[in-house]
Amino acid sequence: MPEKLTENELWVLSFYRTSEINGALFFGRLARAMKPGPIQRDMTKHFSDESLHAWHWTACINKLGTDPLKLDQTYQDKYLEASGIPANLMEVLALTQTFEKRVIGQYARHSRIMGLQPQVLEVFGKIIDDEKWHIEWVGKALKGMEPEYGKDYIDATLKRYAQVDQEVYGAVLKEHQDRVDALLHRQGSQEESAACQWPT
Amino acid sequence: MPVADLKPRIAAYLKLPIEHLQDDAILTDLVAESFILVEMIIELQDTLGIRLTQDDLKSVRTVGDLVSLLARKTGA
Repeated sequence: MPEKLTENELWVLSFYRTSEINGALFFGRLARAMKPGPIQRDMTKHFSDESLHAWHWTACINKLGTDPLKLDQTYQDKYLEASGIPANLMEVLALTQTFEKRVIGQYARHSRIMGLQPQVLEVFGKIIDDEKWHIEWVGKALKGMEPEYGKDYIDATLKRYAQVDQEVYGAVLKEHQDRVDALLHRQGSQEESAACQWPT
Repeated sequence: MPVADLKPRIAAYLKLPIEHLQDDAILTDLVAESFILVEMIIELQDTLGIRLTQDDLKSVRTVGDLVSLLARKTGA
């Protein structure tokens, strides 16, 4: 029998699921708007991955005996609120690069918390390789845009989004501190928790 | 593209009747998700052959702001 999820675990996994759904909707819309070429192809794959990840989280939560929570706001919403709407494709990709790095860091660190259910670990294993590829293809696309946008503009945009990321992540962490603390302390001893602190 | 054609183009992207696009209408109030605005901004640039930056969009809140910006960029 699989172990039941605590309320906090259910909330966090539901948050991941909702973020993956929003990622899929975002990249699906963009993929539709892209001209034919490598970015159109890779963005379509990215869209497909995010959809599949949402399904993995849904199935995982079901296997653990419950249904995902319906959550409204996601991490992406908070990014757009803080940074404003990206004005061109380069800015979209720079925002994506920053966001994907945060996601992979979050998933990797969460996966190191002691005592996670095997079903949850299995999903992290499935998703993390895809997330690495997301960072890779977006990085290549940004490199390819240097002649059009200029390296300085691209670097400045990445730096700006990195600042936004710090602000948004800090705010999310503060808003949900109770859930984070409960998750860490449920999963392992304090020593173990200290060794696998929540991502920063 | 003439200024008069910009608003119908925006209405088409947002799939809204043009009567909803009053100059003082807040763009984010017109869409369910801000993703829709991102897609529209990218497509408008491709269609109109212009390049927008974050600085350009900083002051854009309403339909009228966006139309003015696009008109300026396209020289309409």
